[in-house]
Amino acid sequence: MRPDSTESQASAANVVFAEREIPIFRVGDVVRVAERSPVGHYRVPTYLRGKTGVVEAVIEPPGVDNEDESFGRNAGIKLHYYRVSFPMTRLWENYKDSPSDALHIEVFETGLLKEKP
Amino acid sequence: MTATEQHVKRLPNDIGGLPAAPIQQVEHPLEPWEKRCHALADVLDYHKIINTEEKRRGVEALGAEMVNSLSYYERWIVAFANILFQKGILVPGELALKMEEVEARFHDSDPGAAAPRDS
Amino acid sequence: MNNEAAAHDGDHSHSHAPVQQEEHPTYYEIMEIAVRELLVDKKLLGPGEIRRQIEVLDSRTPALGAKVVARAWVDPAFKARLLENGRKSCEEFGISFYDDTQLIVLENTEKIHNVIVCTLCSCYPRVLLGLPPDWYKLKPYRARTVSEPRAVLAEFGTVIPDDVEVRVSDSTAMVRYLVLPRRPPGTEALTEDELAALVTRDAMIGVITVNGPDEKEAP
Repeated sequence: MRPDSTESQASAANVVFAEREIPIFRVGDVVRVAERSPVGHYRVPTYLRGKTGVVEAVIEPPGVDNEDESFGRNAGIKLHYYRVSFPMTRLWENYKDSPSDALHIEVFETGLLKEKP
Repeated sequence: MTATEQHVKRLPNDIGGLPAAPIQQVEHPLEPWEKRCHALADVLDYHKIINTEEKRRGVEALGAEMVNSLSYYERWIVAFANILFQKGILVPGELALKMEEVEARFHDSDPGAAAPRDS
Repeated sequence: MNNEAAAHDGDHSHSHAPVQQEEHPTYYEIMEIAVRELLVDKKLLGPGEIRRQIEVLDSRTPALGAKVVARAWVDPAFKARLLENGRKSCEEFGISFYDDTQLIVLENTEKIHNVIVCTLCSCYPRVLLGLPPDWYKLKPYRARTVSEPRAVLAEFGTVIPDDVEVRVSDSTAMVRYLVLPRRPPGTEALTEDELAALVTRDAMIGVITVNGPDEKEAP
């Protein structure tokens, strides 16, 4: 398992965390938005699919997958959402304004893939 | 991608980045029924009869034509009706009958009948 | 009572005639009444729940968000807690969150200007600001803010220098955002209430900045 601060607290209290309680991405990770195109409902906008960004924050507490929730599943395995940043110039071919401009958005864990930095 | 896949893959509300008109800074105070509709959405979510995400999906499921022609709260109430039918909480016939009954109250020309009966 | 026509997404701007209480309700209002009464009859909703929720909604106005902003301006420890956990700090302030949302407060600085949008629907920090204006929910704002934020800001009269990052937050999940605008210069002598009075809803969405007291009447 990857070392992280949550895990060292766990060791101190001598408990084992359920796997899903540990976020799989950390701040600074480079991630790519999955390209899959769900039928029926999705919360990852098309403009982000396949784009690469950086994890800015791990959102707590974990939540249910909002795509499943939309079909009435109010309970179930909870995973993390991640706030991810994307430079505007990476999202839009013709972005002519300041190259420092960025977009931030929350994405559910299953919507992201780890990329090599 | 075939020509029709786009209709399935891109929902009518998924408009981020599409070209659009200049922003008109319009706002309107909610009609009483719109506010009741908003309150209904919140209360349905509290009870998890229709959670907020189900509402969003229900609005999307109306399809592009309705999404683009009904107003914000009109979309909500039609979506609620559909979802309640899908869940077997209401059936279309009973809603139709009740709507007839409600409409008849207004034909009896009592402006007070517009106020919520209860709740 | 002058009701503006309800705005919606079609190209036509005439939409419906204004609805007065004395006029015949629309098909949709009839549907709303019927759905609600059926659910109460079936005891799925309690009588009085809708009325109570309307009171909850009416109690949420931009004045709440403005109070939070003003407190953050004068109290650095509160601001630090607010930026760390928005929901907890607002609850500490007496503002309950009646839903399952979290809050991230986005601080504007001399390096970053934040603006919020919901491209997919209309997510908005309702517990703090009340209900969003129509323009926030309509296509132009939702489509263009993520791809041409500076042009959108310019339409609101806001120009951000090129060396300042414009950071757009698109709400899609259970986090809601509130922009913490920059405190205008020349406000050192103002009380917390006077500061709150300067903070508008649109500044907490991020489409405008907060004007100091002398700038209020600027053309």
